[in-house]
Amino acid sequence: MSNDAATAIPAVDGPQDPRQELPAHGLGASLPSADARAKTEGTFPYASDLWAEGLLWAALLRSPHAHARVVSIDTTAAADMPGVRAVVTHADVPGEATYGRTVADRPVFASDLVRHHGEAIAAVAADHPDTARLAAAAIAVEYEILDPVTDPEKAFAAPPLHPDGNLIRHIPLRYGDPEATGEVIVEGLYRIGRQDPAPIGAEAGLAVPRPDGGVDIYTASTDPHTDRDLAAACFGLAPEQVKVVVTGVPGATGDREDPGFQIPLGLLALRTGCPVKLTATREESFLGHAHRHPTLLRYRHHADAEGRLVKVEAQILLDAGAYADASSESLAAAVAFACGPYVVPHAFVEGWAVRTNNPPSGHVRGEGAMQVCAAYEAQMDKLAARLGLDPAELRLRNVLATGDILPTGQTVTCPAPVAELLQAVRDFPLPALPKDSPEHGWLLPGGPEGAGEPGAVRRGVGYAVGMVHMLGAEGADEVSTATVKVHDGVATVICAAVETGQGFSTLARQIVQETLGIEDVHVASVDTDQPPAGPAAHGRHTWVSGGAVERAAKMVRTQLLQPLAHKFGMSTELLQITDGKITSYDGVLSTTVTEAMDGKELWATAQCRPHPTEPLDDAGQGDAFVGLAFCAIRAVVDVDIELGSIRVVEMAVAQDVGRVLNPAQLATRIEAGVTQGVGAALTENLRTSRGLVRHPDLTGYALPTSLDAPDIRIVKLIEERDVVAPFGAKPASAAPVVTSPAAVASAVRAATGRPVNRLPIRPQSAVAVPTT
Amino acid sequence: MTLPATLDEAVAALTAMPAAVPVAGGTDLMAAVNKGQLRPAGLVGLGRVNEIRGWQYQDGHALLGAGLTHARMGRPDFAALIPALAAAARAAGPPQIRNAGTLGGNIVTAAPTGDTLPVLAALEADLVVAGPGGRREIPVTHLLAGRELLAPGELIGYVRVPLLHAPQVFLKATGRTGPGRATASVAVVLDPARRGVRCAIGAIAPMPLRPLEAERWIASLIDWDGDRGLAPEALTAFGEYVAAACIPDPPGEERLPPAVLHLRRTVAALARRALGRALS
Repeated sequence: MSNDAATAIPAVDGPQDPRQELPAHGLGASLPSADARAKTEGTFPYASDLWAEGLLWAALLRSPHAHARVVSIDTTAAADMPGVRAVVTHADVPGEATYGRTVADRPVFASDLVRHHGEAIAAVAADHPDTARLAAAAIAVEYEILDPVTDPEKAFAAPPLHPDGNLIRHIPLRYGDPEATGEVIVEGLYRIGRQDPAPIGAEAGLAVPRPDGGVDIYTASTDPHTDRDLAAACFGLAPEQVKVVVTGVPGATGDREDPGFQIPLGLLALRTGCPVKLTATREESFLGHAHRHPTLLRYRHHADAEGRLVKVEAQILLDAGAYADASSESLAAAVAFACGPYVVPHAFVEGWAVRTNNPPSGHVRGEGAMQVCAAYEAQMDKLAARLGLDPAELRLRNVLATGDILPTGQTVTCPAPVAELLQAVRDFPLPALPKDSPEHGWLLPGGPEGAGEPGAVRRGVGYAVGMVHMLGAEGADEVSTATVKVHDGVATVICAAVETGQGFSTLARQIVQETLGIEDVHVASVDTDQPPAGPAAHGRHTWVSGGAVERAAKMVRTQLLQPLAHKFGMSTELLQITDGKITSYDGVLSTTVTEAMDGKELWATAQCRPHPTEPLDDAGQGDAFVGLAFCAIRAVVDVDIELGSIRVVEMAVAQDVGRVLNPAQLATRIEAGVTQGVGAALTENLRTSRGLVRHPDLTGYALPTSLDAPDIRIVKLIEERDVVAPFGAKPASAAPVVTSPAAVASAVRAATGRPVNRLPIRPQSAVAVPTT
Repeated sequence: MTLPATLDEAVAALTAMPAAVPVAGGTDLMAAVNKGQLRPAGLVGLGRVNEIRGWQYQDGHALLGAGLTHARMGRPDFAALIPALAAAARAAGPPQIRNAGTLGGNIVTAAPTGDTLPVLAALEADLVVAGPGGRREIPVTHLLAGRELLAPGELIGYVRVPLLHAPQVFLKATGRTGPGRATASVAVVLDPARRGVRCAIGAIAPMPLRPLEAERWIASLIDWDGDRGLAPEALTAFGEYVAAACIPDPPGEERLPPAVLHLRRTVAALARRALGRALS
């Protein structure tokens, strides 16, 4: 990648070089991840690397149909194959037949109906992976193929796909005066595609039966305790008889290794009495896990002649796929943030999440918020064009600030520096045009060996601001528990918060370094024998698990210093720990940590529980969110206006982060989020035809490559501490994912003059002249 | 798996074990095996058949070994010989694929998006097929169209390509900036000796398409003894001619769907740009 703009641009405010004059340890340090070396060298053990003596291999039989009645399942041929040790179907599930994170509506194995392409029907354990796969293929299933419901708009009137009905949730948000009208009205219809989390490592797991009749499941779960509880219920076991041991997580931007994967694995281990291993193929991974909700949005914005918003009317339809999963929360986010980080006096938003026979949707970071951001920002562009205003100026006239009220009736109490963020990206110098920097190669849309022609390339600049909620919403109990132990100069953190790549284990080390002054901190691996820490989602581990670690560390600190303080005749607050030495405030008295420990082991366990929230009521009103994070992005794109090929040249990001705890890690999170957003904007869409996934592979599903990833400039990080958050820090991963697709679309609009109302942006929507 | 050292040994190995499948780079074959779509009873590895990993010259033609990798074809010495084939090889997939995938493999896989195929069609290349009964030559388009098939025990040994000593261009449109499959590709080669322009469009049909009328028409406009330049209007007309030939209007009142219309515009732009670059 060329770094052409960097030389031309003078230094700006904000952390340009995170390595400059920063502490080496503790909060604010760019401490590298402890497992970075092992991961780089390829020695880090992931679940797919696990092995146990005498293990069997599992394979799943998945439905080739999107919607069908299962007439009969005959496993005889499969069970008789040499090397096959067990075949299980719905009839072999000893406990609950269905499970689900919010509603138990998903069967472990389809019994009478299959409701999506790739739904599990049976599982096989055999002594060789090929035998297992062949045996799964030898299971004879007779289907009566049914008409799939694939258009979410038709789900309302369609016969119920599930005993619970087709409507998963409906939120009619009403705020203000329905009769209010503005002088200017703009309307739009927007479609957002199905993004897949596409983790680097596909799902994998190892289940080992225990002598007490229980089972241990080794897998890269991101929510081990929930997964354990769901699995135990299906096994008909007590939760204590099942242990989920979290192995290294090879990439997670959503839920990983959901119970639909763990339960068949555990069942086979319980059935055979042998360890059983299952590694998903890339195709299974695409078919099995939850995707971002494809969304249809209809908007009408009213504004006065100066461009101030008067009223927003919106209808939002989320395609949940066959099962509820996290759709309810996604819908709440979509409805609550339907107007964006803008002050809107009157808002009327109807949101629905409906069942279809499309691939399952669920938690993928920024869910709900990302889809509406693309739509409300498109509306803001339309409004600016109608009024002849600069798009950034129009946004600045409407931005939200602390103290304003969301359309849900919730007052924004946290820092909300939206105007400052937008100004920062607007005022950042634009990247040089290729003609002004001829010494650098110009990467044309279409790539280095592509068909791009400089004369057909137009440059566009677009803006977007986005918002996302932090932590679980609507009354979810977001508690986390952590234990800190100090012995022999080494501190150990025990917390069931899963390191998914978000950097929690590094942050935990920094927190303990900061509080106890001990450099050598070890973070224990996670299993469900530890107290629960909740799912790794919505930035909760930075907030609640980080908070729990800090409290536990402070308790250890008090235990350590109390006897000394007593001896010196001063309070513990007057003692400080640095570099393994304890000194009094005046420097007169001093001792080492080792001496103070006196061979003792110090333990403390603490919890962190943020203030409670409440569900949205019948009018979509309620204090549903613990905190909010904001982001502004300016996108610069080059578009070949004849071919419609797009290259994102630069993304300038300003983000509201509360406090920077680890500058290098924060930059990585923002870059990753922006890149995921660029994927959603340009290429990532898991296509289906009548409910069948058409290309479940990484050739058909085009992720951004290093050539597609733009130069990402972190222009400004606003460190206005959120007083209710531990350390004042806001989680940072989701906000750029939410905002960047809208920014790219805005820039393509500016380059081509086309409306761009669909994501990912198709080439035919980016050619300058409409096709006639 | 057997590992013959010569083409004849490979043919013998395939004849001895008719159920075996020849494998060179394996970039398509092994993907099919991993997906469980193919379970070959045996493999005949072509990696040690050195005679098909390079090229030789033969009366105005280059005899390209079927085992030439895309990476090798993308290098400057090869690009000086057959520029369009080199460009297609460089545009084909990420480096890992180009290092392994071969010319012969690209032909026998015969994927519509195979990047070398429109170039070979435009060059009117012939295949030298080695089999138990000796060697025979078939035009590459006959194999791609299914007019002639490889018999059991037969292998593509070489690809015979004319050396035209004139500009050639390969262009492809993809969905992203990084490597991707072509949505449409165009090869344009000039043949000054025969005063011809040859053009083939890839990825939009099961095999590359040749707009023969458009080729003849544009060749008649070019001043072959002069600077070979053409007015921009002529280039545009050529692009539209090619696109209309490859994606004709449906009969009657019916209209093409928007996605197909966009594809046609893409083909027109690619053909116009390719010819423009070849003549500039």
